[in-house]
Amino acid sequence: MSLKRYILRRLVEMAIIFWIIQTVLFFLFHLAPGDPLSRMVDPGMTHEEEMALIEQLGLHEPLGTQYLYFLGNFFRGRFGISFHYGQPVARIIAQRLPNTILLFTTAVILSALAGTWLGKLISWRKENRVDKLVTTGALVCHTLFLPWIAMLLLWFGAFKLGWFPVNGMISPELWVLPRTTILEKAVDITWHMVLPMATLFLIHFGSYLLIMRSSMLDTLTEDYIFTARAKGLPEKIIRDRHAAPNARLPVVTSVGLSLAFSINGGALTETVFSWPGIGRELVFAVSNNDYPLALGCFLLIAVVVLTANLVVDILYGYLDPRIRY
Amino acid sequence: MDGRAKIIRTMFLKWPLKKVVLLLVPAIAAVLSTGCHDNKSNLLRIGLASEPKTLNVWLASDASSRAVLRLIYHPLYVRDPKTLDFVPWLAESRPLYDPAGKTYTIGLRQARWSDGHPLTSADVAFTVKLIKEFKTPGWSRWKYVSKVETPDQRTVVFHLKKNFATFLSRTLQIVILPAHKWRAVARAARRTQKPLATLMRYKNENPLSSGPFVMKQWRKGAYIHLAPNPYFFGRHKIIAGHRMGPLIKGVLFKFYGTTDVAMLALRKGELDMYWQHIQPGYMDILENTPHVKIINSPKSALYFMGFNTRRPPFDDVALRRAVEVLVDKHFIVERLLQGQGSEMWSIIPEGNRRWYNPHLPRPGEGLNREQRIRKAYQILSAAGYRWQKPPLDADGKIIARPGDLLTPGGDPLKPFTILTPPADYDPARAISGTMIQEWLREIGMPAKARPMEFGALIQQVKVRRNFDAFILGYGRLPLDPDYMRSLFHSRNDRPRGWNMSGYHNPEFDRLATAAQREMNPRKRRKLVFAMQSIIAADVPYLPLYLPTLNQAVRTDRFSGWVSMLDGIGNRWSFCLLREVEGAP
Amino acid sequence: MKDNITSSTRNLPYWSQALLENWGRLRRNPTGRLGLILLLAFALMAAGSFIPPLVSPIYNPMHGVDPVISHTSGPSLKHWLGTDFIGRDIFSQLLAGARVAFMVGITAAFMSVVLGVAVGILAGYAGGWIDTILMRTADMIMVMPTLLVVLMAAALFGQLSIWTIVAMIALFRWPGVSRVIRAQTLSLKQRPFIEAARIAGASHVRIMTRHLLPNVLPLALLYMTFRVTSAIIIEAALAFLGFGDPTTVSWGMMLQWVWKTGHMFQAPYWLLPPGICISLLTLSFYMLARAMDEILDPRLRRQGES
Repeated sequence: MSLKRYILRRLVEMAIIFWIIQTVLFFLFHLAPGDPLSRMVDPGMTHEEEMALIEQLGLHEPLGTQYLYFLGNFFRGRFGISFHYGQPVARIIAQRLPNTILLFTTAVILSALAGTWLGKLISWRKENRVDKLVTTGALVCHTLFLPWIAMLLLWFGAFKLGWFPVNGMISPELWVLPRTTILEKAVDITWHMVLPMATLFLIHFGSYLLIMRSSMLDTLTEDYIFTARAKGLPEKIIRDRHAAPNARLPVVTSVGLSLAFSINGGALTETVFSWPGIGRELVFAVSNNDYPLALGCFLLIAVVVLTANLVVDILYGYLDPRIRY
Repeated sequence: MDGRAKIIRTMFLKWPLKKVVLLLVPAIAAVLSTGCHDNKSNLLRIGLASEPKTLNVWLASDASSRAVLRLIYHPLYVRDPKTLDFVPWLAESRPLYDPAGKTYTIGLRQARWSDGHPLTSADVAFTVKLIKEFKTPGWSRWKYVSKVETPDQRTVVFHLKKNFATFLSRTLQIVILPAHKWRAVARAARRTQKPLATLMRYKNENPLSSGPFVMKQWRKGAYIHLAPNPYFFGRHKIIAGHRMGPLIKGVLFKFYGTTDVAMLALRKGELDMYWQHIQPGYMDILENTPHVKIINSPKSALYFMGFNTRRPPFDDVALRRAVEVLVDKHFIVERLLQGQGSEMWSIIPEGNRRWYNPHLPRPGEGLNREQRIRKAYQILSAAGYRWQKPPLDADGKIIARPGDLLTPGGDPLKPFTILTPPADYDPARAISGTMIQEWLREIGMPAKARPMEFGALIQQVKVRRNFDAFILGYGRLPLDPDYMRSLFHSRNDRPRGWNMSGYHNPEFDRLATAAQREMNPRKRRKLVFAMQSIIAADVPYLPLYLPTLNQAVRTDRFSGWVSMLDGIGNRWSFCLLREVEGAP
Repeated sequence: MKDNITSSTRNLPYWSQALLENWGRLRRNPTGRLGLILLLAFALMAAGSFIPPLVSPIYNPMHGVDPVISHTSGPSLKHWLGTDFIGRDIFSQLLAGARVAFMVGITAAFMSVVLGVAVGILAGYAGGWIDTILMRTADMIMVMPTLLVVLMAAALFGQLSIWTIVAMIALFRWPGVSRVIRAQTLSLKQRPFIEAARIAGASHVRIMTRHLLPNVLPLALLYMTFRVTSAIIIEAALAFLGFGDPTTVSWGMMLQWVWKTGHMFQAPYWLLPPGICISLLTLSFYMLARAMDEILDPRLRRQGES
């Protein structure tokens, strides 16, 4: 099968899967017992006022009609309006998404760089005490409970040492001043990013290291490494020029997927650090019964994960010519 | 390896590690060097528990939005911090009304919007028209207003169909909107299919202000910056004995997801005031921090246990009274609120002196567990309840595990559930539920507490009305006692109605309707007292506790907070706050 | 290598021989041994969780409060790890948390692996449209982030009970297993012994349960161990975000209490234990899984022993 046809088939499949997820979620949300009005009403509001609100929000329509509206609007690029903010879901997501992307891309790339680098070095000292120590360390990092390590870092970095800010993404005091330069703002954001990034780094770094190490060990059994050795090339060259580039393949896959799933872990990291990203917004929307917003966030995640899967599969084909579609 | 793959490989896989490191090192150094920079500013920095959801008054139902909007939009009358009486605010003086109480004439102050446009009677008339036309939340209070006249720019006349005691205290408690800005919004909304929804979705990013501050910038997810309003009507005027400001350079609202982080910010001096109630756990540590002060304010709130009087087992008043005796409010206040609150004995909080009935019975007050069980035993046996194994043995001693409670009909009491909000929403209410469950079990009642997500709980109690008992609270109870009518009038016993207990009492209905229309304060008070007595005797709601509001401020930069009902975050504070001399 | 298999095990069917043999290797693998020791410690904690409430009702992890201490307090003789914000004993909560973690981890993993193996074998063996439908379903579920899905369900349907959470985790964690099992089944299907069984007249069900199942079992066991860690983490994260079962005391719940009641910076004695426990327990299962992985992957094993 040609690549074009393969991609086409996958796209159709993706569309179907997406539609199913969308439908299931829609009905799940609307059949759930939670009442979106529960947070809008107080005893001062009378019965008829509440009924008027229900009518205005379109909650009185039969479920089928609501679903058709939803689908129709969706394909016209209207993803609904948040009950809570009263703003289009797309606008809210557009505000939050860059923050998430900034944090996670940086953290994942940094930890992938560090992980592959250390993994490469370590694999050359297999069965050595250093290898044991680092591997165990990586294992421990990998299994750390994310919100806990986040709280611990916050406790240490922001409370004990007092070096880093306790939450958020920027220092308002600095930003309201008219004379603050862009560089100062960038530094301010970086400064706020240190703790959340350290958390994500710790969690991801371990797994990249482990993947790189075992991938290197696999590579070392390949024939071309033997050939290189037989040619009498220095070990460093064999390691860096022959083994490492091929061994990075699984790390690339992993990076791709963990970026896609970052919204998942983002819910935790962003909540603890009050990082104004999409994950925190989703948790917030869910606990506020803000269905349109929660649905929007969730569908976005589904799209990202589906696309990442496709991209990784295609990339794999490019990188490893042995794979045929 | 074919060429294409090679290119991609170099693109994706050959990370220029050394270059990255070289770039990173100065970046990190820069961060560390400027990281601890001193970003003190002379703005008043206020911490909110969450970002305001909107600055559109029609959608703002959350505390944070209200906090910000309070500085921007203003009503005709506000309450005096000490007496809680109405003080003319946008209005010039107290309203004049005819003896029948059907025509109110109100003169307005000379005021301007923050764009310099004068605030006139047309703005008031427009706001009322908007409410009535679009049926915004609260519109039914305006149903009895037949006409709003504006004889001149600074006079408004309201014509009522019937007289209402609640006109000034409830109906007129609306904020006035700038007609010249909202007229276009209303016109656009009117043309849509769902006008109210459209109105509620209006963004209102830069609201015109009639108050001491005006919107400067809202950076989503980070902060809201308010600057002083040069056109504020009260500037340098004396209102209710206070010389009005604003005297500060501006307000900066910051958002903190958890109290913990906000507390740390407060202690580090990154915050001048935290809007939210401070949990008792922080008291010690804050009191020991220099320049931090905790200000207690009374709260108008009601935390209660509600019963479903429509169906067994709580259709029987004797059982409800027994529960009342068994519930140890003292324990709840001392343990769960750590002493930061008081026990409640009426639907109206004690602090609301004008309407609170001090002569109500206080069943169970000061009793220990054993006495409570005895008292409940008396109440229940007198009503015909029996036990498989009574809680008192032949010698009158209390036994640890009595048998199941039997109804007067002789059947065992069916197990019932007490619904509470989840612990993360409000630990005090959730744990009260568990404690009450244990207390009721001591006398053989098959009680079970069940925490439930807030929205689902409301749905169950208010819409489906399928429950036995629940614990809820109203954090912002109006001072006017008219809410008792919504809570217990039989007309409100319907799906989505506020009479969640399904309480029916013709005598109460009669009193409530009369109280709503009684213009004579003394007579109205008598009616409200009688209403409270009826509720206290029938226990459709069992009032539990009233928490005190504790807010923390820093004293090293600003002073002049005004403590009043519902905290220091009121309009008076912001008009009177001043910088401390020689502040850092 | 062969002499590991004692004469008694020689009579057992092939797969139990394999299991016994692998168990022996596992115990000699240092990572595996460490994992097992840690696991044993946690199992002891879980078993010990029944003791404190028997000593005194004030040690009930959920509603036992100290009669004197009404706020959080540091470790003392009476409360080894201190008390939480209303005077409940942290140590007994920690023990109860171990029980919940085991319960959640093992049940959820077991359920998801059973489901995954059943689907995997069926899809691999049946092929055709059954295979397509099952695998597409698996793909679809695989793209759903489990934590968020369960979180959403928890928020929508009120508070979920711990068993519903377990069931939901299982329901969303099987696709990975079934993919691997399917691949394994596909390769097994080509082996002569399956062909032989079919010619001998064995029914499909019999082939799947008697011939295929035993052969994928070690792999399934490996996956189950990995799944235990993820199930524990998901439950803990859920409880941490405030969507757990409010009637159980789990470690995630304890962390949520520390966080929400605002003791993160004030009470390290309360913040540290639950986090350490979650991390160590997942670590121990993970180590076990890695050790098993090494044992089952013949290539790595060959390297290790050479």
